[in-house]
Amino acid sequence: MKTVKNKEKREIKRAKELDKSEISEMKGKNQPFELDRRSVYKCVQCGTCRSVCPVFNVVGWESANTRGRMLIIKSLLEGRPPSEDVLPSLASCTTCGICAAKCPAGVNPPEVVEAARAQLVKCGITTEVQEKLRASVITSGNSFGEAKDRTHWLSETERSQLTEKSDYVYFVGCFDSYRYPEFAEKTFKVLQRFVVTLLPDEQCCASPLLRTGFREDAEKVMKRNLEQIRKVGAHTIITSCAGCYTTLKNNYPEELHVISLPEFLAEHLDELKLKKLDLTVTYHDPCHMGRHNKIYEAPRKVIQAICTLKEMKNIKENSRCCGGGGGVRIGYPDISLELARNRLEDVPEGVDYIITSCPLCVRNLRDAGGDIEVIDIVELVAMAME
Amino acid sequence: MDITAELRKIVGVRLSVSPSELYCYSSDASQVKGTPDYVVRPKSTDEVSRIVKLAYENEIPVTARGAGTGLAGGAVPVRGGIVLDMSGMNRILEIDIDNIQVVVEPGIIQDALNDALIPYGFFFPPNPGSSAMCTIGGMIAYNASGMRCVKYGTTRNYVRDLEVVLADGTVIHTGSKMLKSAAGYDLTQLIIGSEGTLGIVTKAGLKIAPLPKTRKLVIASFENAEIAGQAVVKTFSNGVIPSACEILDRVSLQVLKRYDPKLVLPSEGDVLLFEVDGTENSAREAAEQIIEVCSPLALSIKLAESENEMADIWAARKFVGAAVSRLDPTKTRIYVGEDVGVPIKKIPELLKRAQEISEKFNLPAMKYGHIGDGNLHLALFIDVLNKDEWDRLNQVADLIHRTAIELGGTVSSEHGIGAARAEYMKAQWGPAFEVMRAIKKALDPKGILNPGKLGL
Repeated sequence: MKTVKNKEKREIKRAKELDKSEISEMKGKNQPFELDRRSVYKCVQCGTCRSVCPVFNVVGWESANTRGRMLIIKSLLEGRPPSEDVLPSLASCTTCGICAAKCPAGVNPPEVVEAARAQLVKCGITTEVQEKLRASVITSGNSFGEAKDRTHWLSETERSQLTEKSDYVYFVGCFDSYRYPEFAEKTFKVLQRFVVTLLPDEQCCASPLLRTGFREDAEKVMKRNLEQIRKVGAHTIITSCAGCYTTLKNNYPEELHVISLPEFLAEHLDELKLKKLDLTVTYHDPCHMGRHNKIYEAPRKVIQAICTLKEMKNIKENSRCCGGGGGVRIGYPDISLELARNRLEDVPEGVDYIITSCPLCVRNLRDAGGDIEVIDIVELVAMAME
Repeated sequence: MDITAELRKIVGVRLSVSPSELYCYSSDASQVKGTPDYVVRPKSTDEVSRIVKLAYENEIPVTARGAGTGLAGGAVPVRGGIVLDMSGMNRILEIDIDNIQVVVEPGIIQDALNDALIPYGFFFPPNPGSSAMCTIGGMIAYNASGMRCVKYGTTRNYVRDLEVVLADGTVIHTGSKMLKSAAGYDLTQLIIGSEGTLGIVTKAGLKIAPLPKTRKLVIASFENAEIAGQAVVKTFSNGVIPSACEILDRVSLQVLKRYDPKLVLPSEGDVLLFEVDGTENSAREAAEQIIEVCSPLALSIKLAESENEMADIWAARKFVGAAVSRLDPTKTRIYVGEDVGVPIKKIPELLKRAQEISEKFNLPAMKYGHIGDGNLHLALFIDVLNKDEWDRLNQVADLIHRTAIELGGTVSSEHGIGAARAEYMKAQWGPAFEVMRAIKKALDPKGILNPGKLGL
């Protein structure tokens, strides 16, 4: 078993923001705003999305619901010059996709909004927060601008045991690497028995860049991850973050077999030998794992193998967004937290934990307050393995 | 006068003049367009009154808007001015079960009201296809109805009292909690369906109805829509009043099956859905009677087997209007000529002529709607990037409207006139239209309330 040298990683330079001239070089105010027109013109403006858009529910202005966003995008396609004026609308979508799930005409607004954001980036219209996020990812390889080694949570022994080649790669993600290393540790411990390795120099999956319109930058970051994945020779990538999952699965080349942690756990329940716990928990479907990728049953199967599941008021396809996605948590923190508070209203009485399978959801739901502890599914599994 | 500053004094941050925001208020679900100069989101009757007074003094158009789900441009400010977004005034002020009434603000969503009434065993019966998103205020302004009005009537039958802000800002009440009154003109009925041209509704007292014990659904298919129309006429003349009576032609069926392949619907012909409600016995008897009456005309006829089967069919029916893009992504439903109505006996003829017009202009159409009350929703869909299809679409819509008038019907049964159908008002009403003009002039002498609508 060969060990991976991590020296290079420890020498990653401190994150720096791009300077203004660098940013403006990439902007072009006169660039045309282009988009697949049919994806927009399918919208009949019926307003179905208006009744379910969680951001609109908090903000109240028409521009803050999906129909408003589609109208604004339509106006840009029809020649209205793009300007900063459109940002509060187009940048405040969490891309939760409940509108797409309900749209009778089959429009996919999150896709359209992301495409529009990419066009705005091309036209040089971005928020400061967006630019900061971009700078963090491209200069430090993570969305927080952290300079610390991404695998700082590994013990020396674990580090030394990492293999260069493996069938399975555990893709940790920025959140678990830097904000919830305890989730990363627990996930790694669970997965270790299946001989997983880590990428030697994992980068952000590029989700924050893709969701906020920086497609070209995203390509570069994705390329770096992809090269490493190929080198490791893994046939399966396992990730416990909903954002990483949807990005790896839907934005990376199709050759990758990507599996979410809940799916992997559900498939290997017998081998995990979990003990029953006297707990009642509820489960929050992360939008990018649930609605976007239809992973509804696997986490429930895992939970029910351990304890009692009491469902939230709105679940699966109807689950309400925690407010964390689409760049809204960082761009519009007040709106984001209000969404999380609304989501907590769906929690049933008499549960010990709120379980979810996305660190961004954990963070937002925790920040929203509430009496019930929010934990990642891996923590529940870890409790059942103790 | 600095109108922006004056409006800000009244509503504070609930005012917007941002171009993007104004753009979002420049349309509804119709093809009518018009950009406002200001959008305000009032929170109280007092705010509405002060805004309207300001507009009156400065002769600025004021257009009230609910959820903007309208299909005729009623909430579109075609002359600019102020849009009053009433959707923030959405409280249920009183549930008065003893008087079988509720008092609500106009911005409440229809389904939200009914969700609140279910625990009491009551409901507000008018149920447009857009009940998940449309507001009660919009329903009052356009006398909306929906699938169950064949038995339960339209919004008009459920309004007991309205609080209305008149053109000069004066606030009046048009009724009370009384079930009947013989004291003068019925201003409540005048305001209902007036599309915001006579006043702005800020509160509504509504009659509610007890929820039926059970509902049953008969699904029948017919060789063609015309025969289906005959079956409807026959059912009614046999004394059965279903709680809903809907038609879905074969194109609509294809779309619905694409939308949800699991739907239990006949595979051939044009389909009628008869819903009956009441007690277990009365609903069963009515369903059996419909089956008996329609069987000789039908290709197939059956009773829905479960509550779930019924719920799935009704849910899909609500979405049929916009779902055509799922069948062909290059086609988009355009809401024009979509709401004509004729006396029940003329339905077979309307269906026949609608089919002929659609074929003449080579524009496929779905035909569905509340056939039990003579209301046909003709769904036209085109490639919106093709100008020729737009031209043909408008010609078809025009002919459909004129056909409805010729058959003694109406250009709008429940969606309203707005700006989209304004040109047909004179043809439909003749000298009665001048009476409407006189009323408008008396109540809104400066013409600030939703100008450019109803053909006034």
